[in-house]
Amino acid sequence: MATMNKIQSRMKSVKDIMKITNAMYLISSSKMKKARKSLVATEPYFDKLLSTINDILLRAPHMHQIFFERREEIPYAKRKRGYLVVTADKGLAGAYNHNVIRLAEEEMKKGTNNYLFVIGQVGRHYFFRKNVMIDGEFLYTAQNPTLYRAREIAESLIHLFKEKQLDEVYVIYTDMVTPMKPEPKVLRVLPLERKKLERRAHNIHHAHFYPSPEQVMDGLVPNYIKGLIFGVLIEAYCSEQYSRMVAMEAATNSAKDMIKELKLLYNRARQSAITQEISEIVSGASGLKH
Amino acid sequence: MAKTFHLDIIASDHPFYSGDCETLVFPGLDGEFGILPNHEEMVTCVNEGEIRFKVDGEWRYAAVSTGFIEVISNKVILLSDTVERPEDIDANRAEEAKQRALERLRQKQSIAEYYQTQAALNRAMSRLKVTKKHN
Repeated sequence: MATMNKIQSRMKSVKDIMKITNAMYLISSSKMKKARKSLVATEPYFDKLLSTINDILLRAPHMHQIFFERREEIPYAKRKRGYLVVTADKGLAGAYNHNVIRLAEEEMKKGTNNYLFVIGQVGRHYFFRKNVMIDGEFLYTAQNPTLYRAREIAESLIHLFKEKQLDEVYVIYTDMVTPMKPEPKVLRVLPLERKKLERRAHNIHHAHFYPSPEQVMDGLVPNYIKGLIFGVLIEAYCSEQYSRMVAMEAATNSAKDMIKELKLLYNRARQSAITQEISEIVSGASGLKH
Repeated sequence: MAKTFHLDIIASDHPFYSGDCETLVFPGLDGEFGILPNHEEMVTCVNEGEIRFKVDGEWRYAAVSTGFIEVISNKVILLSDTVERPEDIDANRAEEAKQRALERLRQKQSIAEYYQTQAALNRAMSRLKVTKKHN
C-alpha cells in the first residue's frame, strides 16, 4: 500500500509541474509569434545595414575620425573592452542564457580590463555572483525591444568610446541563423575598420562622401550602431522565446512520458496488491475448511 | 520610358519600397539633395524630413527620420529608422510629441538630453510637415 501511495503522490507532483511547463509553453509560443513577426519586419533592415556598412567601409577613403581610432599604442592585454551581453530576463529557456554567458566568459579571457553591459536579469545576476564588474546603471530589459531603448544604449556606448573609457566595443547575443536555429555570436561594433586590402584586391574605387568623409561618418556611425543594437535586441528576443518554447515543449513531453511510466508502475502495484489480497482470502478460507 | 535606377528604401521596422525610380529627392545634411540615374558612387547622411521619389512619372512622398544613403553602380539604398507615408502618420500623436519636446526644451537639461529632445522635436515637426502638406 505504501508504494501505491508514493507512486500516486509522485504522479500528482509530475502532473502539477506539467501544468506549469505546458502553460509556459503556450505563453512563450504566443510571444514567439509576436517576436517572429517583428523579426521578419526588421531582418531586411538588419541584413541590409550590415551589408551596406560593409560596402561603405570598402569604399571609404583614409580619414581621421574617432570611430576608426584603433589606439594601437595600448597593449593587447590592457585594452579596455566593453561587452554588451544580451541575456533573458528569466530562466527556463533551455541553454539560451548558458550559451551566451559561456561565450561572454570566453571572450573576456582576452584581457583583464573588461567592462560588462548586461541586458536581462539572468545575466546580471550571474555576473554579479561571479564578482565580475558590471555597469550597475545599465538597466535595460530584454523584453519587447524598441528603437528608443536601442538609441539610448547606442548613445551610452558611443559616449564611453569617445571618452576613451572603452577602446573596443563588442556585442554578444543570440542570432536566429535559420528560423529554427538560434546561435550565440560576437560582433565587433567599434572601432570600425576600413577594408583597404580587400578594396585593392577587388580594384574598387573610393566612393564620394558628401560633404566630407568625416562629417558623413559623424552622422552615419551613431545611426548604424543604433540600428545594429536594435536588430541585435530583436534577434535575441526572438531566440529567447524560441529557446523557451522548445525547452518547455520538451519538458511537457518528458512529463507525459513520466506519467505514463508511473501509471504503469501504479497499475502493476495495484494489481499485485489485489492478487495478494485474493490469495490471502483464498488461503484463509482454505485454512478454515480443513 | 524614362531612365531609371533601382531604389531600396528600408525602415527599421519594415521594407518601405523596392523597385525602379526616376528621381529621388531627400533632405541631406545641408539642404535637399537630388539623385538621378547614373549618379556617381556616393555615401551621405539623411536628415529628418520629407523624401520624394518619382515612379512612372508620379511623385510619391514619405516622412523619414535620420539615416543614411548609399549610391553604388546605379543602385540606391536608403536606410532610415522610420519611413512613413503621409496617410499613415498619426498627426495627433506627432503634435503631442512636439508639445512634449517643446516642454522639455524649456527645462534645464544636460547637453546629451538637450540633443535628444531636439532630435525628438525634429522628428515630430517633419512628420507634421508631411501630413499637413498631403492630407
